[in-house]
Amino acid sequence: MATIASTFNPREIDNTDDIPGRRAPLITGDQSYNSITEMVCRVAENPQPMVWYIAFGFSSLTAVMFLSLIGFLILKGVGIWGNMNPVFWAWPIVNFVFWVGIAHAGTLISAILFLFRQNWRTSINRASEAMTIFAVVCAGIYPGIHVGRAWLAFWLLPYPSLNLWMWPQFRSPLLWDVFAVGTYASVSLVFWYMGMIPDLATYRDRSKSPLRRMIYGILCLGWTGSSRHWMRYEKAYTLLAAFAAPLVLSVHTVVSFDFAVSQVAGWHTTIFPPYFVAGAIFSGFAMVVTLLVPFRTLYKLENLITLRHLDNMNKIILATGSLVGLAYATEFFMAWYSQNPYEYFTFFNRAFGPYWWAYWTMVTCNVISPQLFWFKRLRTSPYAMFVISIFVNIGMWFERFVITVTSLSRDFLPSSWGYFRPTMFDGLMFFGSFGIFVSLFLLFCRFLPTIAMSEVKGILSITKHAAHAHDGAHANEH
Amino acid sequence: MSEQKPRKSAEKKMPKAFGWMAEYQDEHSLLAAARKVRDSGYTKTDAFTPFPVHGIDEALGIKPTVLPFIVLCAGFTGLGIALLMQWWMNGVDYKYIISGKPFGITPASIPVAFELTVLFSAFTTFFAMIALNKLPKFSNPIFTNPRFDRATNDRFFLYVEATDKYYNRDSVKELLGGTHPDSLDEVLEDTTPSTLPRPILLALLLIVVTGLIPAMIILNMRAGYSTAPRFHVFFDMDFQPKKKTQQPTTIFADGRIMRPQVKGTIARGQLEEQDAFYLGYDPSKMTMLEKSNSVMLVSAQTPSDGNAPVAATKTPDANQTTPAPTVATEAPKLPWIDKLPIEANEESMKLGKLKFETYCSACHGYAGNGDGLVHKRADSLAQGYWLPPTSMHIDRVRIQPVGQIFNTITKGQGKMASYATSLSPKERWSIVLYVRALQRSRDANIEDVPAEFISTLDEEPKSASPKTVSTK
Amino acid sequence: MNLNYDKASIEIPQSWRAKAPILFSAGLILLVIGMACSFLAPATGGDNTPALRYLTHSYLANFVYVFSFTLGALFFILVQFLTRAGWSTSIRRIAEILMTMIPYLAILFVPVLVMLFWGSSALYGWNASAKDMENSVVAAKATFFLTKEFFTIRTIAYFTFWILAGSWFFRLSRQQDESGDTELSMIRQKWAGPLIMIFALSISFAAFDWLMSIDADWYSTIFGVYLFSGSMMGFFAMMIVISMLLQNAGKVQKLITVEHFHDMGKFLFGFVMFWSYIAFSQLVLIWYANIPEETNWYRVRLEGNWELFSYGLIPVHFVIPFLFLMSRHIRRSRPLLLSGAIWVLFAHWYDMTFLVMPNAGSAEFFPMFGHFLGGIGMLCIFAAMFVQRASGVPLVAMRDPRLPEAMSYANPIL
Repeated sequence: MATIASTFNPREIDNTDDIPGRRAPLITGDQSYNSITEMVCRVAENPQPMVWYIAFGFSSLTAVMFLSLIGFLILKGVGIWGNMNPVFWAWPIVNFVFWVGIAHAGTLISAILFLFRQNWRTSINRASEAMTIFAVVCAGIYPGIHVGRAWLAFWLLPYPSLNLWMWPQFRSPLLWDVFAVGTYASVSLVFWYMGMIPDLATYRDRSKSPLRRMIYGILCLGWTGSSRHWMRYEKAYTLLAAFAAPLVLSVHTVVSFDFAVSQVAGWHTTIFPPYFVAGAIFSGFAMVVTLLVPFRTLYKLENLITLRHLDNMNKIILATGSLVGLAYATEFFMAWYSQNPYEYFTFFNRAFGPYWWAYWTMVTCNVISPQLFWFKRLRTSPYAMFVISIFVNIGMWFERFVITVTSLSRDFLPSSWGYFRPTMFDGLMFFGSFGIFVSLFLLFCRFLPTIAMSEVKGILSITKHAAHAHDGAHANEH
Repeated sequence: MSEQKPRKSAEKKMPKAFGWMAEYQDEHSLLAAARKVRDSGYTKTDAFTPFPVHGIDEALGIKPTVLPFIVLCAGFTGLGIALLMQWWMNGVDYKYIISGKPFGITPASIPVAFELTVLFSAFTTFFAMIALNKLPKFSNPIFTNPRFDRATNDRFFLYVEATDKYYNRDSVKELLGGTHPDSLDEVLEDTTPSTLPRPILLALLLIVVTGLIPAMIILNMRAGYSTAPRFHVFFDMDFQPKKKTQQPTTIFADGRIMRPQVKGTIARGQLEEQDAFYLGYDPSKMTMLEKSNSVMLVSAQTPSDGNAPVAATKTPDANQTTPAPTVATEAPKLPWIDKLPIEANEESMKLGKLKFETYCSACHGYAGNGDGLVHKRADSLAQGYWLPPTSMHIDRVRIQPVGQIFNTITKGQGKMASYATSLSPKERWSIVLYVRALQRSRDANIEDVPAEFISTLDEEPKSASPKTVSTK
Repeated sequence: MNLNYDKASIEIPQSWRAKAPILFSAGLILLVIGMACSFLAPATGGDNTPALRYLTHSYLANFVYVFSFTLGALFFILVQFLTRAGWSTSIRRIAEILMTMIPYLAILFVPVLVMLFWGSSALYGWNASAKDMENSVVAAKATFFLTKEFFTIRTIAYFTFWILAGSWFFRLSRQQDESGDTELSMIRQKWAGPLIMIFALSISFAAFDWLMSIDADWYSTIFGVYLFSGSMMGFFAMMIVISMLLQNAGKVQKLITVEHFHDMGKFLFGFVMFWSYIAFSQLVLIWYANIPEETNWYRVRLEGNWELFSYGLIPVHFVIPFLFLMSRHIRRSRPLLLSGAIWVLFAHWYDMTFLVMPNAGSAEFFPMFGHFLGGIGMLCIFAAMFVQRASGVPLVAMRDPRLPEAMSYANPIL
């Protein structure tokens, strides 16, 4: 049974120093193609550690509780939540935005970092993409059950209905959300699956039992590794990355439109699209760190998901966290600069009104806590980054809470001001979504290739080749 | 799990050979071998590697793919469909006004257009890649060699197909043998049975059949009728714990759920029912009417069509098809009050003007001619069934007592809604005052003009033409 | 890796140096002619003569146009060190030279400050005396934030930061030319992060001050990002044009490869998209909410003879460059990429005109023609300054430890 990573871990090799002119190795230890295969396949082939069973037991129970609560909600109606005049967009929307935000890291890592030729993405992209899909699943639940008559949620889609004789309202940002999140979920799924095809073939070829071999064989579509296939595959992967990159930006942009196209003070501000995207990447990377730190220790993958990977992710957390801080500052400045009394009031109210505690939790967790990552010691310490990344996620939840609830509870009409109080169901149904998320992730570890073996091998090939060339050049000089 | 084709040859003893496959330790040996094979003139070659090896395309002479072009077309298709769909659904087929936003393609159409472009492109990328690679292909002769399992792990294979036009079994073996492979094997046809094992087949069948059941049930329900009572999922919504007005009850002796007023009490708002200020008529004079109180009260309390339609119907056709209601001739003759219960001063006149122009002018027009914007718009649509708003200046209205005009504002009439919730009684009376002023302005004498303004009139007004008179 | 190079091949062409004074004076003359054209504007009402309004607005727009290239360069350099990029090493020096032009260009901003202290409110309406300010919102901002003194202090602060950061990085880079010390790269890597944060703050507020406060009534929180996206796009176009011209003059031929052009082309394409994203976000939010104090900015731009010009931004700045630069083929073809980059340079000028000029008055022929001449004049001055700055500086950081990496990489699929 493994515990959380220890700095005295013999597999923990510091490869974060990058002397200009010489790239530090992306994966540590003396690795060969076969050793990479062994390390990754071991995760699914060996019996799972006890921690896995304990974690899965808890998370699946939580998931079952969540699903039962959804059933209860459908029977009783949304009145079981604390949503009440004037705050009708409360926890369900906050949770939705929270999970959609988290879902941004996976495709960002696999698409945008791919386009920027950031080879370190290869060790972490698969798990992050899986995390993305599962986060979208969690996110998608909330608007679905928030529509009231959840069994009619399919009315959101533009389908020719003989009963309704009407079409969805395309000028509504909430419908844009349906398209954006739907596209994002399906394209991410395709991207994730396509990336897995060669690795599923590895699983197939290593399977001992015929049933296992057949299932993986069907899943990998009979992949052979033919060079002609690889050529089209790489082209397709690149194209998908090129589409997924703007798609990642668009999803949280559209989510920000839900708020920003309105006239509610504190919601309507033009910086929302890039600011939401930065926040989403911020929270997504934090969640990846939260998941991968225990994951790599549990499955002894420290050689593949090295300190350098974590260090880089923490740097991105620092950068996006600072961007989010900059956006807060800009908003505050503009609230004064606009000389709009409503804007001014809203921002004053956020910081010093009845929800001051939420606001300052948000600022502390989102702006101040990532600043700790300026210190390299903290950036490369699994303990520290685990804690900070959790703080970041708490902060990002509160950010959405602050935006949604403070603005609604103090709108233009003082007579309808109110104070939002969540019910027990709000809390349980937020907590329950983690059950779904963690269960799915644990199942993913159990059955699917968690690290993109073929991509890591490709990078290893390039590195080895470069090392060869380097040695060769030296030999020539002497 | 094999293809159908090789079955014929299975009867022969020797399995069919598909070509030669050489195995290498690393990608560099593979590349060197591939170049050699290419230079020997073979084109039906392929390499199998655990990861995409750079330079293999050139070493094998693989041509670039048409995939990007297909995807480009798909992207434009997605964009076109998205724009067309939004234009047609919200701009043509189902127009719905949302905060005055224009129909058709607007900035609001861009997000969905973008998403669908990406959706179409991405899915096309994936499925076109699968199709161009001729996948899924579960049975492949190269899988017969157990060594090939390492092609997805750490070994590199080079394959020369027997279908190549220069293929010669021995010379290819010699050529590949000269590249120092780890192993060199002939790819033989898969001789394992090609049928699925029976349990798997049964399981698949079972899954398909059970999967069809819900669909069949839904289809059956959609197509047929049922006399069975509805299944109540939401019990507390279908059976709400409340009593409806005409229901019986066991709580009270008389069994009525609606209770009469307790003696000596006054309900909220009831006081107002006693005062002409709130009613427009004097309730104390109700007893003097020839008809019974109740009939009169009902006709006054309910917004009736009144006598408007007779004057209003525009075309002779409309007159024929919709005969004027009989009520029209029997306008309620309640004891309307003739005197304004508020003081007619400048303040109330201003208030009346403000409120009239806010609430009434949209239909009745600023001058009360019944030609407000709503009317003009409806008239221009020329749909035939529009009843024009009543003019304040027709005789029927001019002779109405102030109380009756007040009542019309309070209760509404015909299409006109009640304004009791929007306007306080004082505001309503102010409007009545203003309406009176408007009416008088059409029928004023020179004496009505205050002395100091007479000199400002341009000339002696002609007796026939209406003239504007200051309401002061 | 052994890099044999000829010293002369990484120097600015001698013929360019000879042309610099001519370019400079030609630029000045064009600028003056352009300003003169403003006086042919038809007279309209208002406190300031329309000529003064057109002239000042045009000057600011053209100044920000050329200045944004250097801002983009500064950001590019910082990001290259922040991400420890290797591919860009051989083109980095050209960007560094652009970056060190900031102090020269800062001089060109002095006329704006002089105009403020002279008391003119032709450009910045908030500079009018309090009694002339009929708008209470602007008057409130003009109490301490939008005052000529504080505006100047902020402007000086921005320039000071940009100049200090740029010249320090340039000095370290030049020291490395001599010593080849990797430590010099490490220092820059370490400080790139904090500097980028200050940079983000400074460009945001510079955009608010210089451009957004022209219409002091209006506000948009995204405006800093808007200017940033346009600047980066313009910067990459400028980089492509300069590198191409240098290569055509027979310099840096082997050091800047088609891969670099391909990558710069990708960035150009990327920032065309990013600009469109930001511009669309700003438009759709203001259009949708339809709040009068915000829509006015667009109303000015979508009324009268500005309407056609503003709608022109969509094809000029998005559709044409987007479709043109989409193909890998075009990004790898020198003449095609060069023409694309020149188009984008024009598009960036078009965008700057869109941001500033409608506030001067309606789009009349002579002032607009003068504005165009002024833009060309500014570009000539910019070119002369570039040649001046580049003289005596190697055009490639030859001893950067990451140079071999830049010489040996190849673009994969896209």
